[in-house]
Parts: sequence; structure tokens; C-alpha cells
Amino acid sequence: MSAGSSSWLPRGRPSGRKALLATLMLLAAVASAFPLVWMVLSSLKTPAESMQVPPVWIPHAPSLESYEKVSGVVNVGRSMWNSLVIASITTAGVLVTSMMAGYAFAKYHFPGRSLLFSVLIATMFLPPIVTLIPLYRLVGSIGLNASLAGIIVPNLANAFGIFLMRQFIAGVPDDLVDAARMDGASELLILFKIVAPSVAPAIAALALFAFVYHWNSYLWPLTVLQGNADAYPIVISLSRLLSYNRGAVNTGLVMAGATLAVLPPLILFVFLQRFFVDSIVGSAIKG
Amino acid sequence: MLMPAVTLIGIFILLPMLLTVWLSFQDWSTQTPFSSASFIGLDNFREIFGPTSVGRDFKGALTNTAIYTALSVVLILPLSVAFGLMVYQHDVAGGTALRTVLFSTYMVPMIAVALVWSKLYSPSEGPLNQMLGLIGVGPQPFLSSPRSALISIVFLNVWQQVGYFTVLAIAGLTQIPGSLYEAAKLDGANRFEQFRFITLPLMRRTLLFSAVIAIINAVQVFEPVALITQGGPVGSTNVLTYHIRRVGIERAQGGLGSAMAVMLMLSLIVVVCALFALANRKNQE
Repeated sequence: MSAGSSSWLPRGRPSGRKALLATLMLLAAVASAFPLVWMVLSSLKTPAESMQVPPVWIPHAPSLESYEKVSGVVNVGRSMWNSLVIASITTAGVLVTSMMAGYAFAKYHFPGRSLLFSVLIATMFLPPIVTLIPLYRLVGSIGLNASLAGIIVPNLANAFGIFLMRQFIAGVPDDLVDAARMDGASELLILFKIVAPSVAPAIAALALFAFVYHWNSYLWPLTVLQGNADAYPIVISLSRLLSYNRGAVNTGLVMAGATLAVLPPLILFVFLQRFFVDSIVGSAIKG
Repeated sequence: MLMPAVTLIGIFILLPMLLTVWLSFQDWSTQTPFSSASFIGLDNFREIFGPTSVGRDFKGALTNTAIYTALSVVLILPLSVAFGLMVYQHDVAGGTALRTVLFSTYMVPMIAVALVWSKLYSPSEGPLNQMLGLIGVGPQPFLSSPRSALISIVFLNVWQQVGYFTVLAIAGLTQIPGSLYEAAKLDGANRFEQFRFITLPLMRRTLLFSAVIAIINAVQVFEPVALITQGGPVGSTNVLTYHIRRVGIERAQGGLGSAMAVMLMLSLIVVVCALFALANRKNQE
């Protein structure tokens, strides 16, 4: 494992090399964390402090005033609720459709299987903008525009989920499935009672990916909602904070809103990052 | 079992993709039903590559997107390998903590990234110019100058995404057998030679995969442009996702927008195929 693992460093005295490596690692971590730290610090500043030149780094008297003001400009509670509804329902849908299709691709043999799988997987590489214009019209023509349903329904299945589930379900022994079939269990029962528990970490990873992705998603909700503010998820409400006032005086307000929007996905990540990382590694290696 | 997923992907991805191709040959307003479209051959394509303002804007957006994508990939890949090596090594503790910090930015909504960076980039009240001042570099205009706006958006994209690609790089590194390094050491290879002749060649598949994902991600850049620059100053950050949406949705020129989307799709196919061809040729050498 450790052999040659820092092979990109120049040769030198081992202690000197280690010091250089530690410095580089610290720099990378600071550069990565700095914008988010700045965001939180700025959200605690008073308007006067936000406008100061040169900028103040640490607020003198941290105040939560900006957080109170955010609620006066946009409906934070409603937006957070909308985001929660969008992300939760979409995630539930993605889990069910991905597990079913992943199971079929991993354990069934039928003509055209690899062709169908390839076609579905190809859509993983399709940037959403390519289908945006007709999709917008299509969703409008079935009466789902300007609603939460319009945001959710087109996203209830995706190729990444099917791919991930197939990769992991393929590793479940056929014997396990066959034994359950002998006992007369239905296919859905086999999938959810026997296969699902043995790929639980991958399911957790997919759930987190889907939740964070749809919590953060902006282009499609912005397009389909057509200005229906009641259905705005938090990211769209956040974008309206900036247009509310572009001046530095309201930086604290914008940063407080950003902090609120960032917290749910970040908290999920901190507690469950093991699953995220394992599934990326797993899907990259097995793919 | 396949029904739900195939039906949903069929209706909401594959059908719209085919409609995009069909609409690119039609004169069609996005505000009217598909049935009102009328066939006009290649006129949309002639127009988006023509000498009028429609053509100028589209070609500008295509160029901006190409520059943005190339810069993103060129910055993300080497950084992800460097960070991957930092996380993977065992000489200095803290690798896993570094991975957590790097990857956490990938969880942040792009809208929040754009907002925070627009303040970091602020010429007078922003901390970046203050820090540059400390090391003797004069204030930069960042997002407010046509010369630096696009690269400034590249930087915030790299900041957000590099953690994801670092995890991919680590996945690649774990696949390299340690015995290879042992053998190389016995042969007297120094650390640079080990990196050059073992790590890099065995990372080729990972790097190819990372490059494809980075390209697909880069052409989707939308939030920072929509929120902060609106394509400006003087069109310097007008990228395809933003431009196609503006033409096809906001101006409701569905035919024109679809032709642009088709060109984006074709460009992606060409670039990705070229990457694979290049990687295969290298493999045969």
C-alpha cells in the first residue's frame, strides 16, 4: 500500500520531504475550506462590516440578524419544505425504479438485454440542456408545468441509478435468488426482501446522491416553474436574494441564505460520506 | 421489472432527445404545440453558423464553452491526481481528513457556490484581492472584465468539482499493485521515474473516465452565468447551456435552440470519440 505512494515528490531528506508534503496538504485543505468558512463568517457580520474595505475577516460581534432578515425577503420555510419534498420524492422514485431495473439487468437473461442497457446508459452522458426545450413543452402539454410534480415526475428514473444498482446486484449470488424462487417468493419480494439487504450500502449511497443532486438542482426547476414562487425550492429563492440587492450592504443576507441552503446536503455528507466514497470507487472500478 | 424505468427514461429523456433532433429541422416556437412545426431543412443550422447576430452569438457561445471545458479539464485532472496521491500516501497523517474537506465542496449547491464566489471576487470588499495584495499582486477585475470573467468561472468550477475527481483518482491508485513499486525500487528507479513509468500509465483508464465526466460536467455550467454575469461582460461568459436556454425557452425560438442543442450533442460525441481513439492508440504503442 505505502510503497511508492508519494512517488511524485522529489528525492531529498525524508524529513524535508514530509514537511513539504504536509505543507501542500494543509494548503489544499485551506483552499478548499476557505470559501465556505468565509460564507459562514460573512453571514454573521453586520451590514456595516460587510461593506468595510479592506474586508473584515472575523466579525467583531457575531449577529444572527441576517438570518432573521432572510425570512423577510424570501419564504425560507416554504422553500426549504419544497426542496425537501422534491428531493425526498424524487429519491424514493429513483431508488425503486433503479433497483427494479438494476435487478432485471443483473439477473435476467432476455434478448436485446445489452443493447437496451447500452441505450439507457448512454443517456447518463447526455447533458440536460440537450433535451430541455422539448421536455419543457412536453411537461407543459401534460399539464405539469409550474408545479412541484413537474419538477419531480421527469426525474423519477435515471441511468446512473440503474447502472449503480446493476453493478452491485450482479455481485449477489444467483443461488440466493434461486433458493427464494424455489420457495415460491414473487420477484418483487425477492428483490426487496432478499437482494436489497445485501446491497444496502449501495442503496444508501444512491439515496444520498439522488437527494443531494435534486436538492441542489437549479436549471430544470427554474425552467418548469415559470415564476410560480410558491413552488420555489431553496436554491431558486436563494438566487432571488442576489437580485434583491446587488450591493455589498446585503452580503450578510445573501451569505445567510447560502448557509441555510448548503447545510442539509453538507450535514448528510458529513455523516454518510463513507457510502458516497465507496460507491464512487466501486462504480468506477467495476465500470 | 424494467417497465417503470424504461417508460420514464423513454418518455422524459429519449423521446425529448429525438424531438430535439426533429425540431432542429423545423421552424417552431416553443410556445406552440409540436404539431405547429413546419419543416425548413437545414435553415436553422445555416442561421446559427451564419453572419447575422444569431450566428455570431452561437459561435461565440460554442467557443466560450470549448475554452471553458478545455481549461476545466486541464486544471482538474492534474490537481485530482496530485490530491489523490496526497490522500493515498501514508508518510504524513491526515489523508482521509483532506479527502473529506475536498469532497465536501461537491455537495454544495452550485447556486451557493456562485453567490459565495461572486463575493470573494468582489474587487474592493472581497478577500481575494486583499490576499493578492499581501503577496504583491495588484487588484484583479475577476468577473467584471471580459478578459478574466470566463477563467474566473472556471476557477470556481474547479474548486467545486476537484474533490469528486480526487476520489476517482484514489480509486485508480488503489488498483495499482504495490509489488510494481517494489520491483522498480530494486531496479533503482527514483520516485519521479516510478510516477512517470508506473503510476501514470496505470492511471490511464481512470484519467480517460475522469476526462469524459469532466467534459460532460463542464458543458453544463449554468448557475454562475445565469446568476452573476448573464453571459457578459461583452458576451465573454455566454456559454452554451445558458445561451440555448435563453434562445429556446426565454425567446421561445424552439427550432433554433434545438439546432444549437444538436450541435452541442454532436460536438460532445466527436470529442469523446477522439479521446477514446487517442487512448487506444497510446495503448497499442
